[in-house]
Amino acid sequence: MKNNDQRSSLFWLVIGLSIVLYSSKYGLGTFSSPGPGFLPFMSGAAMVLLALIVFFQQFSRGRVDTLKSLWAHTRWPTVLMVMASLVFYAVLLRTLGFLLDTFVLTAFLLRVMEPLSWKKVLAGASGATLGSYAIFELWLEAQLPAGVLGF
Amino acid sequence: MEILANVMLGFEVALQPANLFFCFMGVLIGTLVGVLPGLGPVAAMSLLLPTTFHLAPVSAVIMLSGIYYGAMYGGSTTSILVNIPGEAASVVTCLDGYQMARKGRAGAALGIAAFGSFIAGTLSILGLMLLAPLLAEVALKFGPPEYFCLMLLGLVIVTFLAGSSMPKALLMAAFGLFLGLIGMDIMTATPRFTFDMYFLMDGVGLVPVVMGLFGVSEVLLNVESKIKREVFETKIKGLLPNRRDWGDSIWPIIRGSVVGFFLGILPGGGAVISSFVSYGMEKKLSRHPEKFGTGVIEGVAGPESANNAAAGGAFIPLMTLGIPANAVMAMLLGALTIYGMQPGPMLIKQHPDLFWGVVTSMYIGNIMLLVLNLPLIGIWVKILKIPYEVLFPLILLFCLIGVFSLNNNVGEIGLMLFFGGVGYFMKKFNYEAAPLVLAMVLGPMMENALRQSLIMANGSAAIFFTRPISLAVALLVLILLVLPMLPWVKKKREVIAEIVE
Repeated sequence: MKNNDQRSSLFWLVIGLSIVLYSSKYGLGTFSSPGPGFLPFMSGAAMVLLALIVFFQQFSRGRVDTLKSLWAHTRWPTVLMVMASLVFYAVLLRTLGFLLDTFVLTAFLLRVMEPLSWKKVLAGASGATLGSYAIFELWLEAQLPAGVLGF
Repeated sequence: MEILANVMLGFEVALQPANLFFCFMGVLIGTLVGVLPGLGPVAAMSLLLPTTFHLAPVSAVIMLSGIYYGAMYGGSTTSILVNIPGEAASVVTCLDGYQMARKGRAGAALGIAAFGSFIAGTLSILGLMLLAPLLAEVALKFGPPEYFCLMLLGLVIVTFLAGSSMPKALLMAAFGLFLGLIGMDIMTATPRFTFDMYFLMDGVGLVPVVMGLFGVSEVLLNVESKIKREVFETKIKGLLPNRRDWGDSIWPIIRGSVVGFFLGILPGGGAVISSFVSYGMEKKLSRHPEKFGTGVIEGVAGPESANNAAAGGAFIPLMTLGIPANAVMAMLLGALTIYGMQPGPMLIKQHPDLFWGVVTSMYIGNIMLLVLNLPLIGIWVKILKIPYEVLFPLILLFCLIGVFSLNNNVGEIGLMLFFGGVGYFMKKFNYEAAPLVLAMVLGPMMENALRQSLIMANGSAAIFFTRPISLAVALLVLILLVLPMLPWVKKKREVIAEIVE
């Protein structure tokens, strides 16, 4: 494996192949009346073809790199933590309710990059929570989930 | 004199107090996201889309458009003051704009950027007024085969103009096409690729995908790299360019407007590319090309005009053909469809108040932007100074609530986060998101056009090559696909890719 274009093309190759296989399940139809699987099949096939082009093109290119080089000099653990916190937010939104869930999330996010002082974090998180509640719930009537707090 | 009557109608609509308010909100938010790094017009528009559902369609489109061209204005501010382009379209502005600021001429640079944008915006609106109705007339003759080929052409142009490799961009377009086809098949009511997830029945939502690809992923990339932003500490004074500045800039502004407008019509990064083309052109035409990059005012005036004119030109394919030229226009298309309007050749005839109202509101919006950006520049500079660690939780929070409030569905938050992750890796591995979004929006339309064409022709694909217009377009598609393989085009494209990087 020469470089990251080659590596990523293999990923798309797999996706393309799965689309091709799945779409034949939905019925390709005929040329005069294409079925529901027709265009998905074509797009999947195009992906396979293009992924192969990208893959073989790289043999004639000079660029060589490693997966690691993409994350060199980055704070990738922060990315993981931010992403995880967002997933938790989504999962807990209905149970905890908007206010509580949002407060916890913003407090966490405010600490995750630069450890701000707790005083600032608490002020920021309550401000963001109440502010967004005012905008979305009270003004735009978005019906955010109430959860355990009951409002 | 029909056009005069139309313009009058437009102003009647645009000058209604409610529409003035939404126009102002649009350009205000646009300037804000233009100034803020890591939140572009596409993400901002998708964020605000749900809030526009209970507005009149005209007001909603006026506001959403305002965000778009407002962001073009705001982007220049950060380029000049911080050397960080707020928008991709303002990348070139950094070259000479920042140097001007370092020489103590930040005021003149900001001023000429604003005036240039204003003049270019005005010129491109005039072009839009003249060209769009004519094109719509022509487009009425198009049938499904022509539409299918045109959409294909749009996608191919986008990938052709994409900065990175064309096969990779096409790969993204193919994936986007597939995403657009997920959900219930209209003709047979078969659910496709929904995996029993109810919220996928209506198709993959545009808003969660766009917010993920353009909002969340951008934040993820920013939190992993420690960006230090230093606002150039200088007293900004003398925003009015002097007589010499005007003399140096007036032709670059006019040339930039013309180039920008026509490149803006083309699908793909019209605003970005036109700013590069304008910069290159001014450098070529200049009597002192060696001074470019050291803070010459032409290097700011030309590109800033070009990207604003392109923003106007980009409306043409959407308003006349119903085919969006870029991701922003794809958002507008999504919005129009939600309001029950079918963009296309009939739009101007069926909803003249919408078309002319929006167009004239852009004129008013340009004046508002001038006021917002020049005297109030201090406020924007203050916003620039907000540290990112305080900013990004707010951006994420707005994305989360925005997507949720769309249908009160947690599943769509999941979808957004998924595409946030996908977008993060796409950026890492250098895949472009714009062709994906465009293809996703075009997907269902292309499928319809393809099916109708094949049914019309009893299953013979020859229909695409026997009708003159569709044949011409199909040939153009083939040429664009083959062109990058020719050695000299390949070299040119590599050079462009390098400049863009």
